[in-house]
Amino acid sequence: MRILPLARAHLGTMAVLAVLTLSACLLVAGLPRLVQGSFDDALRESLRGAGASQVDLTVRVAANSREDDLIERAQFDSRDAEYRALLPGPLRPLVVPAGASTGHASAKTYDTPVRGSGGMRFVNLAWLSDADRRVRWIDGRAPGAPSTMAYEQATIPVFEVGVVDEARAKMGLRLGDVAIIGESHPAAVRIVGVFAATDPADRYWSHHGDVLRVTETQPPGKLDPERRTTALISDSGLAKLSGADRNLRYGWVLPVDPEAFSSLGTSEIATAITVFDRGVALRSVSVSTRTWLETHLPELLTAFSAAMATARTVMFLVLGGLLAVALGVIVLSVHLLTDRMDHSLALARARGGSLRQVAGAGTALTTCAVAPAALAGYALSFLIPGPVTWIVHAGPALVVVTAAGFAAARLALTHRAPLHERRDDVVTTRPSARRITLEALVVVLALAGAYLLRSRGLTAEGAGDDPFLLFVPIALTVAAALITIRCYPYPLRLLVRLAARRRPAVPFLGLTRAARARSGSVLPVLILLPALGVSVFASVISGGIADTQRLASWQNAGAPIRLTSAVELPPDAVERVRRVPGVELVVPAQTAQVQLGYGGERADAIAVDLDGWRRVLAGAPISVPAMPGVPSGVPALVSPELRGRGTIDVGWLRRAKVTERGVVSSVPGFFSGKPFLVLPFEVNERPSVNALLIKGDADPAAVLKASGSPRATVTTQAAELASIEGGPLTTTVRSVLLVTTIALAAYALVAVVVTLVIGAAERARALSFLRTLGLSDRQAQRLTVLEVLPMILITAVVGLALGLGLPAALGPGVDLSSYAGGVAVGEFDLDLVTPAFLAAGLAFAAVLGAYVHTAISRRRALGATLRVGELT
Amino acid sequence: MNPTLSELEAQASVERAAFGGDAHIVCDNLVRIYKTEGVEVVALQGLDLLIQRGELVAIVGASGSGKSTLLNVLSGLDVPTAGVARVAGMDLLAMTAKDRLRYRREVVGFIWQQTARNLLPYLTARENVELPMKLAGKARRGRALELLDLLGVGHSAGHGPAELSGGEQQRVAIAVALANSPQLILADEPTGELDSETSAQVFDALRKANRELGVTVVIVTHDPLVSEQVDRTIGIRDGRTSSETLRREDAEGRLVAEEYAVLDRVGRLQLPRDFMNALEMERRVRLELESDHIGVWPAREEPSHEQ
Repeated sequence: MRILPLARAHLGTMAVLAVLTLSACLLVAGLPRLVQGSFDDALRESLRGAGASQVDLTVRVAANSREDDLIERAQFDSRDAEYRALLPGPLRPLVVPAGASTGHASAKTYDTPVRGSGGMRFVNLAWLSDADRRVRWIDGRAPGAPSTMAYEQATIPVFEVGVVDEARAKMGLRLGDVAIIGESHPAAVRIVGVFAATDPADRYWSHHGDVLRVTETQPPGKLDPERRTTALISDSGLAKLSGADRNLRYGWVLPVDPEAFSSLGTSEIATAITVFDRGVALRSVSVSTRTWLETHLPELLTAFSAAMATARTVMFLVLGGLLAVALGVIVLSVHLLTDRMDHSLALARARGGSLRQVAGAGTALTTCAVAPAALAGYALSFLIPGPVTWIVHAGPALVVVTAAGFAAARLALTHRAPLHERRDDVVTTRPSARRITLEALVVVLALAGAYLLRSRGLTAEGAGDDPFLLFVPIALTVAAALITIRCYPYPLRLLVRLAARRRPAVPFLGLTRAARARSGSVLPVLILLPALGVSVFASVISGGIADTQRLASWQNAGAPIRLTSAVELPPDAVERVRRVPGVELVVPAQTAQVQLGYGGERADAIAVDLDGWRRVLAGAPISVPAMPGVPSGVPALVSPELRGRGTIDVGWLRRAKVTERGVVSSVPGFFSGKPFLVLPFEVNERPSVNALLIKGDADPAAVLKASGSPRATVTTQAAELASIEGGPLTTTVRSVLLVTTIALAAYALVAVVVTLVIGAAERARALSFLRTLGLSDRQAQRLTVLEVLPMILITAVVGLALGLGLPAALGPGVDLSSYAGGVAVGEFDLDLVTPAFLAAGLAFAAVLGAYVHTAISRRRALGATLRVGELT
Repeated sequence: MNPTLSELEAQASVERAAFGGDAHIVCDNLVRIYKTEGVEVVALQGLDLLIQRGELVAIVGASGSGKSTLLNVLSGLDVPTAGVARVAGMDLLAMTAKDRLRYRREVVGFIWQQTARNLLPYLTARENVELPMKLAGKARRGRALELLDLLGVGHSAGHGPAELSGGEQQRVAIAVALANSPQLILADEPTGELDSETSAQVFDALRKANRELGVTVVIVTHDPLVSEQVDRTIGIRDGRTSSETLRREDAEGRLVAEEYAVLDRVGRLQLPRDFMNALEMERRVRLELESDHIGVWPAREEPSHEQ
């Protein structure tokens, strides 16, 4: 059969099909890219934030004997190349070439004491392959070649070294000083230069924090801290540095580029790192040396995957729902197209068309509409940024295959026999016992799955997707659809009985027609239900995220504006802040680390007027508890860690005995997790204010200026919220949820309209018949609405319930904290406005569609309508 | 004399000539039962029919008498429930799907009552005629135009159905039916939607096909006037053939129509309803065999009933 004339005859339907396919393919191929892209951004951001020493791959060699010593730069370079050659495939694209980024080699001693310091001062020696570009010499000169000197009847090497500026002040090192280092194999260091980092903020320095800063630790039982610095030596100094003499470690940093990471291959990378670790360990030259890999990359990746797993599941659940609904709507329009072609194909079949010819022509026509549109949607999706995953290719292919497959199957079934005696008007036969058993099984499985998911929670260690979490919502949706399809005629029949007793004929007729469960009504239910379910679910989730983000921002800030200062704020500074325009209320607070009892135990403490703070927080989603009064002494609220101690002796500016009067889990804006105390503001006789809780919409910069404190910081709730909302994940997730909700609503609408159009001919005939019996136009409209509305209303209610129930059913399985600034999205408030609006809008659109439909069909002549399609 | 065993055996082994012999269309005791939702409708109740090659036959009957069912069976669109249906030697009950397709492509062509149902609205007349040829995979150049010319609608070959009158549409439909040179054309009320003048044109076209192409034509109608246009009219009542009207020229060249009742193979006969009503025949009749006919008499009133 020729396709072209057939296509011309059904241009309208084909256009609808093409538009639906285009939009579906664009969404199905585009949204996963967007989501995946944001996952990648989040991973990169977390890696960038982690510090180079955690992310980079560092090969370390502990050299213990002279034969292992590397005495010149070339040896380091060849080792570097050797290690790079060992890199497994998945790691190669991630590792930056030698010499770029933070990549370098180093030789460092550790625990090298200065003789005569009593083990309280250490000057370690370090050689950095790229020292010349990493540091600049601010005093003296760069170290040169080592020399020798006599010391205690022996000749010892003298290393020329440079020290960091901070070491001059803290360790009393001066230019020209010579110190003897090492206990068993002494050597001398001569300080010839003082350096500072060219760029102290460079990620590079996370590898060598000890070079830039003097490390101070407080050994137990000592008054003074123990101080360590690491001094730089020259290339020629390397020759004298031996692992036999002191604790020496060589290091090769193979820097990885956070930008090269993709959230998809994290487990592969973790495996590759293990392989690399093993490969490196086998390179140990001798028994005395040990080679190993140092990196925290696997831990970082695992932590990221765990945080992302549920979030990803929820996203793909929503996208899966979208795909299912889009496929449903496309199938519905293919249904419409094949219905429209029915006459042509039936004639062709009767005139000697084989089943293959007839079904082939219809399928080809469907493919003509679907394939170019799918291709266009697929192409358009490449305008959306984000990595290409398999679903980007599979989605559009699935759409085309489904549409063509459905067309082929439906046409083959319809035209199996050349003359098809169809009795659409007959009520479907009683369902077989087998079918009822199957449906009951699906329902039971879905409920059991939901119960198990709730009682089990998430697989905590599972870094990948939780298939169970994906299965349960799908099963629940299918179960709800089955129950709806099976049960919706029953309440209607009850209504029909009531309507039959009343005088008006229209409700009776309309409801009777609605209660006849025709085969055509199954598909719309299967589309509308997930569409509403998923869009309501999406809006509930997105509402929950928004609420939690607000909550998290308040938790982080503690007040509309919070000013904290490292030094005390004098009363006049507080007064100046009070006078800043926009400031409504200022509540001063004191924070410090206080001593508990008389031992070494310490805890954070805040002394604040809780009533005043509550006034600051008026209208916010968080609050602080009131301070209960005590007959005598100082009341205190304590963290769970300090619970049950009764009276605690607290050493702050003065010692006070405080009485535990309650337990709080966190202090918004200040503490959570660690032990802390909340005390009345008056706990210190002379308050030492170092924090201000400010209500009002004052300019944070003005507040900061007014405080006059050089070491103060201002945090505002608005800025916190903006930073949480601005995260790459959060923005994408919210926009994906929004796009999905809109798309689903649109698809639901299209489904209703297409359903109306599919039933148009039959309905027109019935209405024309009734109009010959005296049905008025108004009655005809009401009849149509009554016929369509019950199915839509019931589906809308079930869909609404499903969408609202899903978050509760999934319960602990859904952890969206990564979208909400780390705070778990715990309670999904039943905010019924948006979902109800969705459902009501859909019902309204359906009613409108029904009215428009009757208005159009009214224009047809009665006689013509009654004859159209009349068989035999 | 009693036959010997061998004589009986020989008698049994002799193949009896099949009913209808080599007739073009043979229906013997044809039954078609529709079942929907447990309700059975017997549309054909043991129908017998014989039509010879090249005949132009009308089948008439009231609405619901089963004539359309018969036509669907004969056109290979429907399968009878029981009985024998043979067209051009092909058994319609035993055909595979493939045979059925070949049958529809090569043996039979048909025309429906609704003019709109016969033609695809978006194809021109010529394209509509070419469609069955293309479906059968043997398109012949020029044949469509030949057929349209033959049926007097050659001028509208390039027009779509919407631009044709009802009569023209039906004539194009006849051309479509003839496209693959079938041996048989079935027409279901081809003039049902047409006025008498246009009907005549359509009948002319059908007759032309019958005479010039030698095609057997079976027309189903409930219009008794049609019978004037054909050689033989078969009446169907309640799913069985009940009467036949033959038209032939008498010695003076006038057309004479004679109506016969149909006697089936087991000797059943349907008496016309008005005959029965006129003589108040009910339940039983008396038959008397005369030398050249059988007399049918109303049952005598039996005195025993009076008592």
